[in-house]
Amino acid sequence: MIKVRELEKWFGKLHVLKGIDLDVNPSEVVVIIGASGSGKSTLLRCINFLEKFKKGTVEIDGKVIDKNNEKMKNEMRTHVGMVFQHFNLFPHMTVLQNVIEGPTQVKKISKAKAVEIGKYYLEKVGLSDKEAAYPSMLSGGQKQRVAIARALGMEPSVMLFDEPTSALDPELVGEVLSVMKDLAGEGMTMVVVTHEMGFAREVADRVIYMDDGLIVEEGTPEEIFNNPKVERTQEFLSQIL
Amino acid sequence: MDYNVSVLIEYFPYFIPAAWKTIEVTALGILLGMVLGLLTAFSRLSKNPLFNVPARLYIFMIRGTPLLLQLLFLYFGLRSILNLEAITSAVIALGIHNGAYIAEIFRGAIQSIAVGQMEAARSLGMTYRKAMIRIILPQAFKRAIPPLGNQFIIALKDSSLASAITIKELLLKAQQLASSNYYMMEMLTIAAIFYLFYTSIFTWLFHKIEEKLAVSGSR
Repeated sequence: MIKVRELEKWFGKLHVLKGIDLDVNPSEVVVIIGASGSGKSTLLRCINFLEKFKKGTVEIDGKVIDKNNEKMKNEMRTHVGMVFQHFNLFPHMTVLQNVIEGPTQVKKISKAKAVEIGKYYLEKVGLSDKEAAYPSMLSGGQKQRVAIARALGMEPSVMLFDEPTSALDPELVGEVLSVMKDLAGEGMTMVVVTHEMGFAREVADRVIYMDDGLIVEEGTPEEIFNNPKVERTQEFLSQIL
Repeated sequence: MDYNVSVLIEYFPYFIPAAWKTIEVTALGILLGMVLGLLTAFSRLSKNPLFNVPARLYIFMIRGTPLLLQLLFLYFGLRSILNLEAITSAVIALGIHNGAYIAEIFRGAIQSIAVGQMEAARSLGMTYRKAMIRIILPQAFKRAIPPLGNQFIIALKDSSLASAITIKELLLKAQQLASSNYYMMEMLTIAAIFYLFYTSIFTWLFHKIEEKLAVSGSR
């Protein structure tokens, strides 16, 4: 589903990704953990080309994406959903308008059909009663659930989550994680960058530990959390668990 | 000093054509300024030097010189080449002048929209252009309203400089009448009342627009 090969990225002189290889299989939930600055968010943003990178390739659904081909990138993004740390809802649109914006404007499906899809996904994230509300009227947890519905509205084949609960008050983290858990249960392919180790342990099929622009260790949650082989992974986990 | 209140009422009607002239120059100047401003803002934001260099140069030259100079330049300076009518010169000068400021207002408003908005739009598969039109510009316009209102009021008052190139707007009218009836204070008072009336309307109008936009979704 996703194949990343020898990905390297610089921010000016800073070498943030130093050669990443990553495979994500259909219906797999991959959770990426690591300290701030390890490059995990950057990696995620490179997958859908929100971030430009210098070297390497990203293949999605069997197609190697040409980074200079805008049309190809736009087409790819219609089936790669993304959820951001800071929600990035469109503040001038209602909740429902946020969700149908992509389907109507990008996929060009009819308003009526889009509304149907929009309502379906809003119900899924438990926000049917908020469809006429503006984002400013919602709590952080509700905003993030709308953002998930917005990404799902495009009916993507894979979802990327970039620290989806890091900007939330602690009591609101649960509602977002529970929506994500349901999604994983339904077989959605997911790549999740997070600091929620409970979620990683419970939901992930595979956990990847990144440090200093490299994948240091990967394995099942049991392998990573119970028997980390690499010393750096052990140190990181001992600091946070 | 004598101040004759009855003169105010007596001469008030004489100002009405001049009041229209002021509105004409201001309105057309603002209209031209808005068009130039929007085009320049986009050129300025473009990564292509073919667009952004001329935009920078335009803003640099116009913001760096007085409007009065620009008016004289266009009307008297270029008379041998362009031979524009006074009113045309006034509208063009006011338009070009305001265009530079309005461009910076729009540019600032567009750049003030969080990067995440563009990223979210692009992550849905939108093109840059579509994301601009659907997501960024509606928010940017809203943010541009207060400084635009400010700029329109400045343009209105700046239209008085057109008196220097023989446009019979409010200020020139006041001076001309005063030079024959010697009621300088009274004539200037009448002109001032008109300006205050106009600026009140602008202020009220922009307040209404802001109120309306605030209702349909806040930040």
